[in-house]
Amino acid sequence: MLPQEDGPLIQVQSLTAAYHDKVALDDVSFDIYRGEVCIIAGRSGSGKSTLLKHMIGLYEPRGGRILIGGKDLVTAQGQERKEILKSIGVTYQMGALFGNMTLLENVRLALEEYADLPADAMDLIARMKLKLVGLETFSDYMPSEISGGMQKRAAIARAMALDPQILFLDEPSAGLDPITSAELDQLILNLTRNLRITFVVVSHELSSIFTIADRVIVLDGETKKIVAAGRPQDLRDTSPISWVKQFFKREVSTQAKEASA
Amino acid sequence: MKTTMAQVSSAGSLGVEDSSDGTLTLLMSGRWDYDTTGTWWRRSQEILAQLKPHRLVIDASAVNYCDGAGAAFLIDLQQRQARDGGEVAVQGLQEEFRRLLDIYGRISIEPPPGRRREALPIIERVGEAVVGLWQDVQALVVFIGELAVTLLRVARHPRLVRWGDAWLAAEQAGSNGLPIIALIGLLLGLILAFQSAVPMRQFGADIFVADLIGLSMLRELGPLLAAIILAGRSGSAFAAELGTMKVTEEIDALTTMGLEPVQFLVIPRALGAVIVTPLLTVFATLFGLIGGAVVMLSFGFPLVTYVNQILSAVTIGDLIRGLVKSFMYGIVVASIGCLRGLQTRTGASAVGQSTTTAVVSGIVLIAIVDGIFAVVYYALGY
Repeated sequence: MLPQEDGPLIQVQSLTAAYHDKVALDDVSFDIYRGEVCIIAGRSGSGKSTLLKHMIGLYEPRGGRILIGGKDLVTAQGQERKEILKSIGVTYQMGALFGNMTLLENVRLALEEYADLPADAMDLIARMKLKLVGLETFSDYMPSEISGGMQKRAAIARAMALDPQILFLDEPSAGLDPITSAELDQLILNLTRNLRITFVVVSHELSSIFTIADRVIVLDGETKKIVAAGRPQDLRDTSPISWVKQFFKREVSTQAKEASA
Repeated sequence: MKTTMAQVSSAGSLGVEDSSDGTLTLLMSGRWDYDTTGTWWRRSQEILAQLKPHRLVIDASAVNYCDGAGAAFLIDLQQRQARDGGEVAVQGLQEEFRRLLDIYGRISIEPPPGRRREALPIIERVGEAVVGLWQDVQALVVFIGELAVTLLRVARHPRLVRWGDAWLAAEQAGSNGLPIIALIGLLLGLILAFQSAVPMRQFGADIFVADLIGLSMLRELGPLLAAIILAGRSGSAFAAELGTMKVTEEIDALTTMGLEPVQFLVIPRALGAVIVTPLLTVFATLFGLIGGAVVMLSFGFPLVTYVNQILSAVTIGDLIRGLVKSFMYGIVVASIGCLRGLQTRTGASAVGQSTTTAVVSGIVLIAIVDGIFAVVYYALGY
């Protein structure tokens, strides 16, 4: 369990990341506070997913630190690392539900590994999580038997199995229709309001950014740094950088306009 | 009468007060999270089963932390009481934790109807397996037909074949597999010669070990060894490759582009494997004979005696019949590997399944083809 004091919940301090010789993130620093919905945005190839994967400890950074609840995820080992991982939940772009398990078993898995609970308690908790995302009647379905939007929601239920304080979502609305995508946004808002869960979401879905984001961090694919951070409305209206404005207004870049003219 | 069984723990704790009018009071205090709730969950179930209270009061005013597990505990108690016809009241739970109960609300413990997968009775399972086997045979026949038609078409228009892929398959199945073929062939020859030389020496017949090695390697073991290694190395690889393409919808993409998966994917692999199987057979046989030679030399026979003995025992016909057989093995193993790949369903485990079935059915088919050849050669008088 993470400490409850009101400092930043996640601190990314001068993070540098690289794949072999190719720098993917250069000296990136920012804080995320409890209860915040923070969106990581940027154009394709700007390092959004790389940043997310470093924040959840999948990749080791070339330099810098990532603190979750004040603890360094990079250097943490064994039990300490498990404690940190228990306090976060992650969903992946493709859902990544385990295909040979029912939804209930998917959600139960973390409980079986981490919690000391009787079997019917784990079933009940897994059903509670599925109910939270509106899938209580699908608990015995296999992931391949439900739609893409349902899979995304089931992945959120699985990520929430141990009541994490932070949820990392990698492009949750990718491949979803607008209605399903809007429902997912509502789910995120409900969870952050009612359970005070902190969200870190990689997304470039504008409608969802304007609906859910408290703050957007925009990455630049050229410099591999953060170019802008703030409320999406402010960035759209007052950002000094033209392509950031264009990004939030969904305009075609000037070069592309010239090319098509 | 009033009994108290207060239980203290560093994290969460549960006290029990039982009054004579059928009211049971549970005093919850401390932390109720995923680590601490389990103990009290089991304990409270025992208590409730034992006392069967008419009215259950849960005093949660001393709870200072409660997460999903604690909420599940309360919900479970409420459901149990509701099912047994008792009453329940939760008192003093702090507002932030009470909100958890409101969010989760009433959860049905029973799974939704009609979804529970029940084990079928044995007769139905046997029937299902037989029907499945029959359908599998049908699919195999259809596939062989499709393959034959496509082969005829590409025989008339050889430019339809993607020869680059075929050479790649030939390299992977053939030259990359040479070391293992050589090793196993050599060991097989060594073991075969050694095992037979010891008893045959008792009759002074140890020179005939050369006949035994020559005939068995050329006619039977060389082709069989090459085919089984091909099934393990390449049949499985084809199945995994095409299976992954099926899962990632690449095969659907081919189909909608008007390219037939059989012609585009199966033919190059089958041709590549078919080209190299007789070659692998030659090498397996050769190394088997070398293995035999090592044993015979150690038994004191000069190499020329061994070679002459073999030459007098086998004919060129033995070699050719073995190669014809291995040619068929190659077709069977490569095409069953591709078929299993194309039959892959969705999901990560499906690729593993099709790889396994590719090897298993490859080996079964090798045995069947071997049997057919034995009968045919016998009927032809060889």
